[in-house]
Amino acid sequence: MSIRALWVVSHEKGESGKVRFSRRFPTVEFRAKSLAGTQYVAIPEDRVIPQLLLTELGLVDADKPYVEVRDDCARQHRSPAVELRFNGPGGRTLWPVLTVTQGPLILACLPLVEAPPGPRPPLPSLASVSQGLALLSGLQDFLCGPGGKPEPDVQASRLAALPSVLLQVCPLGRPLDTPPPAGLVPAAVAPSPGGAQKQPAWKAGVHRGRAVVSVALTEKVRSMQYGKSSQQDIWDVYGMVMCKCEVEGVLPNVTVTLTLPPNGSPLQDILVHPCVTSLDASILTACSVDENDGSAFSGPYKFPFSPPLELFRLCSYTSQVPVPPILGSYQLKAEENHLKVNVVLKLHESVKNSFEYCEAHIPFFNQNLMGNVEVKVSSGQLEVSKEKNLLVWVLGQKFPKSREATLEGTVYFSGTVAGPTDPLCTGLTAYIKLYFRVPDLTLSGCSVDQHSVQVYSSAKPRIVTTRELVSSEYYIWNSTGDAPVSSGLMVL
Amino acid sequence: MTIADPWDQRISAFLLSPSQFLATTTSESFLAEVLHELRNDKANDQLKVLLVSVLLEHPTILCPSSSVGEETAVELLSVFSNMPQKSIVLKCNIMLAITNVIICTSCLATHTKTAEDWLDLLFQTIQDTNDFRCGLSQQALRATACDCLREMETCNPGLLSQKLEALYLLKQQETTVLHQSYCMLYALGLKNAVRILAKQKDVTDLEFKSILGGNEGFVWKNSQLGLTSLPINMMVQVPCLPPGLDCKELKSIMSSLLDESYLLTPISQSALLRELVEVVAMVPGLSPTLFKSQLLRLFGTADVSLMHATLFMKDTFTDSLFTAEDENFLLKRLVGTAQHPLLRISEKLFYMECILHFPENRPISSSGEESLPVLVTPRLAASLHPTVFNDSATMLCRLNLLCLVHLEADEGEADKGIDYLFDHIMALLKIVDNDGSREVVVTSFRGLYIFLTHFNGVEQLSEKLIDRLCDMYSRHSRLAPNLIGLADRIQENLDDPVWSVKLLRGLQKSIMEMPPLQLTIHNLSWHLKILKRVAKEGQITQKNTIYLLLNVLINSNLCERGNWQVGNAVLAVCRNLLEHPSIDQMFIELADLLQYISVHYDDTDIKDHARFYYTLLTNLSWEKLTGLLVKGLDGGRAKERSHSAIIAESEGIASNLTVHKTNRHVLQLIKVHEKASQNSSENSESSQTMAEAENWLEVYQSQFQTPGFGSEVTLRYNLTHVKESDPLFDKVFTICLHFELKDSNYAKVSDIHVPCVFKDRKPPEVKVKLKPFQPYPTTLCISAIFTTQDGRSWHSRLPDVGVSFPEIFLPVPLPLNTSCESKEQVFDHIWEAAASGNPDKSAISLFCFKTGDESLATLIERHFQGYLITDHPTERLWKVLFFLPPMCHVLLKITQAEDAVQVSVATDNWELLPFVNSYLQNITDQRSTTVTDG
Repeated sequence: MSIRALWVVSHEKGESGKVRFSRRFPTVEFRAKSLAGTQYVAIPEDRVIPQLLLTELGLVDADKPYVEVRDDCARQHRSPAVELRFNGPGGRTLWPVLTVTQGPLILACLPLVEAPPGPRPPLPSLASVSQGLALLSGLQDFLCGPGGKPEPDVQASRLAALPSVLLQVCPLGRPLDTPPPAGLVPAAVAPSPGGAQKQPAWKAGVHRGRAVVSVALTEKVRSMQYGKSSQQDIWDVYGMVMCKCEVEGVLPNVTVTLTLPPNGSPLQDILVHPCVTSLDASILTACSVDENDGSAFSGPYKFPFSPPLELFRLCSYTSQVPVPPILGSYQLKAEENHLKVNVVLKLHESVKNSFEYCEAHIPFFNQNLMGNVEVKVSSGQLEVSKEKNLLVWVLGQKFPKSREATLEGTVYFSGTVAGPTDPLCTGLTAYIKLYFRVPDLTLSGCSVDQHSVQVYSSAKPRIVTTRELVSSEYYIWNSTGDAPVSSGLMVL
Repeated sequence: MTIADPWDQRISAFLLSPSQFLATTTSESFLAEVLHELRNDKANDQLKVLLVSVLLEHPTILCPSSSVGEETAVELLSVFSNMPQKSIVLKCNIMLAITNVIICTSCLATHTKTAEDWLDLLFQTIQDTNDFRCGLSQQALRATACDCLREMETCNPGLLSQKLEALYLLKQQETTVLHQSYCMLYALGLKNAVRILAKQKDVTDLEFKSILGGNEGFVWKNSQLGLTSLPINMMVQVPCLPPGLDCKELKSIMSSLLDESYLLTPISQSALLRELVEVVAMVPGLSPTLFKSQLLRLFGTADVSLMHATLFMKDTFTDSLFTAEDENFLLKRLVGTAQHPLLRISEKLFYMECILHFPENRPISSSGEESLPVLVTPRLAASLHPTVFNDSATMLCRLNLLCLVHLEADEGEADKGIDYLFDHIMALLKIVDNDGSREVVVTSFRGLYIFLTHFNGVEQLSEKLIDRLCDMYSRHSRLAPNLIGLADRIQENLDDPVWSVKLLRGLQKSIMEMPPLQLTIHNLSWHLKILKRVAKEGQITQKNTIYLLLNVLINSNLCERGNWQVGNAVLAVCRNLLEHPSIDQMFIELADLLQYISVHYDDTDIKDHARFYYTLLTNLSWEKLTGLLVKGLDGGRAKERSHSAIIAESEGIASNLTVHKTNRHVLQLIKVHEKASQNSSENSESSQTMAEAENWLEVYQSQFQTPGFGSEVTLRYNLTHVKESDPLFDKVFTICLHFELKDSNYAKVSDIHVPCVFKDRKPPEVKVKLKPFQPYPTTLCISAIFTTQDGRSWHSRLPDVGVSFPEIFLPVPLPLNTSCESKEQVFDHIWEAAASGNPDKSAISLFCFKTGDESLATLIERHFQGYLITDHPTERLWKVLFFLPPMCHVLLKITQAEDAVQVSVATDNWELLPFVNSYLQNITDQRSTTVTDG
């Protein structure tokens, strides 16, 4: 259950990769050697690692259309682990190298293969693989933070902190914990000396100060709408409950309860944070890959837990809702050098008509840049992007009383400069993408009642609960053109 | 800190490439420098942490033997104990370094004193539970000590097996965050102790009890690592204790560990669960139902390592813990998590692998290959269908999984599913057709390969694919290498290669049908690549190819332009055509084509080749022709002769026809051992004229005005066969030895030619002349090109040859018959100059060692004979001078004091001191030396 080495490699476009951080674990290497016997493959020196890694990830020789070692069709890149090959074909290989790519950074580690020499064991039979994956995920969060794109100097300082982070979470190649996510370490913490109660390893100390528990429920809705009988529209919802509990005590007990309205469809695929102490079997039964029977458990969903100090995701779920919040239709008609556009968006009556924002983006690919735009909207404003390849329809905070908004008109592509290309959206294949956020709403109807949050501690905490609905991958395809299939669910 | 910066650079250079770094210094001296700096009170902790990192990462490079390892550990330990209390981070790093050194240099396995001391110290450190004695600030040291002990137990299983009671008590007492460290240490110790016991025969209740109550010393005898420490899922047979033992106490310990597991971080929890699962698997008296209370929590977890541990549990206990219902449920969870929108891509890919290797309660096969659990039906897996919106890896992974699903599905359902996958492939190809990026192209061809490996038998679909690919090729000839690659791989990996032939035939057809305008120079090179590949297929008629080539050559200006590459690509097609079985039917056409090229193509080389092919075609039977052209790269001794090397370029044949490569060593260089005294300078002509000169130093120095004087070292080697070489190489001829140096301290060594080496004859002697810029030890990488008796040429590497420091020594380059007095004069002059710091890099040092009277004389005779300047055995004083090209001197004054021998060292290049030091250490007894720098 150990890893042999760990690397952080950076690679900017057009440049060769550079090792930004690396760490080898000689005692693990010592074990690797005695396990593999004659099949042992030593880890090459750091100076050759970036090239090997980038070749495997298809990131070398960007100017060459085909390079056999990089592009061979029989090399299957469908596993979280790749192999590094050195000394050309037929040479020795290092396996399994787990990688995570985020922007220009590549994080990689080499888990120890605890197996007798011989054919490669299946990845799931190696304990160190999931530990390596967890460690890499933690490192990714630590280096890149929640935004994913820190400033170069911030990132440099985080890289510089890695040795001391590893001293705590992986001193001798055996992951003990994941690094703390950057920026999420709370301030008001007192280290706790040994007391009567055992301190959990995932909690560096105890909270001191005012007790506050915040529970934020975010639901995201995805949709693909085609507006045709031959292609069924699809949509789904997934939610997560983020908690931050500033409560005194070594192991304070908190219970958060999610409730659904009567006749609400059950929450599915529930995944919980490891700090949840116990679960009722009925909570886990509903599963999106299963046929739903009406008798399924539909709450209340109780999650008793003892919180860590930092913000964490208590649980997540998916849900099947009967209707999409906004039903759209998009029709394009091509005429010489212009397109006739017709868009209708209908807000479902069950959805609160109070947005923080709502925008429809209508991009045009594989066309010349837009010239004249003769388009009218029944509500909101229309903007033409600076780049002249995108219409932005700002619907604002509210749909009109009829809950329906239309956009109609003609877009001329009179410019001579070619706009952006996209291999998917050719001909009349085109989409509208919606961006919206509705505060204090969930589509599943799921909610956390402030009074249902129970905290067993001496001081009565202030409890804050919020909920919101946010769009994610919300597409409306032009119904007069072909649209790509986006799920196998409808086929069978 | 001015010193810090060079250290920064040096250490990052070392970590980036130890081999390159050590080309300019020795590991010994680098290690000595690092240890020296660690003891420097003025250096700050940050620098010292950096210094320790070299030992943390490459202990075996710096400590190549266990004796060096032990010495280093002792040094580090003394640094550690003299360190101020507040240097916590540095102390932790040193603890890790000591542990690394002790384990990796086998100090632990061989039970050295240092290892024992270190273990005692670690164990003592962890006794301070709850920081009662040392305070909270020292907590990190305790955490590190726990992890060091855990690593030592892992590398030496059973080490702590007699200490379990003590460890259990410590674990119970500890209530800080370090509770986890104690818990993990105890669990590992427990598992290893049970495993060792389980391997014994006839275990009694008493023995079994004694492991839990053990409070003795460390156990050193179980020192074999390796396969004995495999996890149980990798073992053919899991060792088991006999049934009927009293497990009450163990059971309660296990329960309490499980109850507290919740206090551990998810990663450590998963590790703990695995240890406990192993214990239960080895003790029949413990029931897997112990874990029942944890299952629900684990089933619902969002953590990948905990889910993985649950699958391990499932694999180990199958239906003794998991009901059929549990199994069904777990599998559904896996399918759900494999596509969960909130999980990371790598985790989802991993879960898909877990589905393909799902530990079923009643598996149908147990081959370890990918296989689909019976319960995964098309309906269950529907949400895992690939789409064009997936990232590459996810798409390919889903495609592979779904191919397996539909391969095993019932007919009606399968057809629908296969149609879906086919449509998906078509959608990918449409994106490629619309100028998709390189990544899309590569991914699509990988998708095609997966689809075809499963469904190439579905004729209707595979034919449609061919039509689509050929249609696309007519628009995008840049796809040629992808298409050739696909045809090759499918042909290699499927029993039935018909599909590839059909594809190639289709491609040939679409090239024929292209309007002439599309045969531009740029596209033509792709088409020629395809045609070359097509020409390899005996089942495809080739007449059209020839017509096309002739047509293009006649109706374009290609011949006038005379581009060598295009000509060569055309000839490469012809070359494959020459081998084609149906050559009889296209004999005339091919002859016409070759003749046309040989007359009209405006490039002499191409003309010559074409003429040569023409001659072969018209004069040889097909059998002879193919025999001549046959590829024999791996065939070993095929009949091909090297004269076919004049045949045109192509990737396959180029290597075949020119120089063969063997990865095994054939020849080697063995050093010729000579007496140092024989190796004297060759400059003796002017001895007479200089005999009278007064100032020998001037004479000596003036010699260096002559360019190249004394700049070379000649090393003599025998060139012999390696011990076990192939009889093919028993007689080799015209050997050309080529030398590469691993560093830039020497001038390039010129090639050496040797006429022949026969295995049963005396080996020829080879003189390698080295010209140092810096006289440091080095390594020569040597390769040889030679010819075997059958006329083929070979390239082979020789084992690397190391050039050690003393091998670069030369006697002082003075005329042969220079008198002893004159030599001494020179010696004294150089000594004085060095002592007074002239030139700048001069330095003086002292080296002492103990030796008996007799052996000093022997030592001097053996090592310094050729370099002695004066020899006054009566005065107990010897002067020795080593000259090192291009112009360095190392001078030794050896005096025998009462209880030790003193060697005063002077040199005009202090950078040589580390090498001098290790040389002296080598030739004297290592134990009794001390060094002082002057």
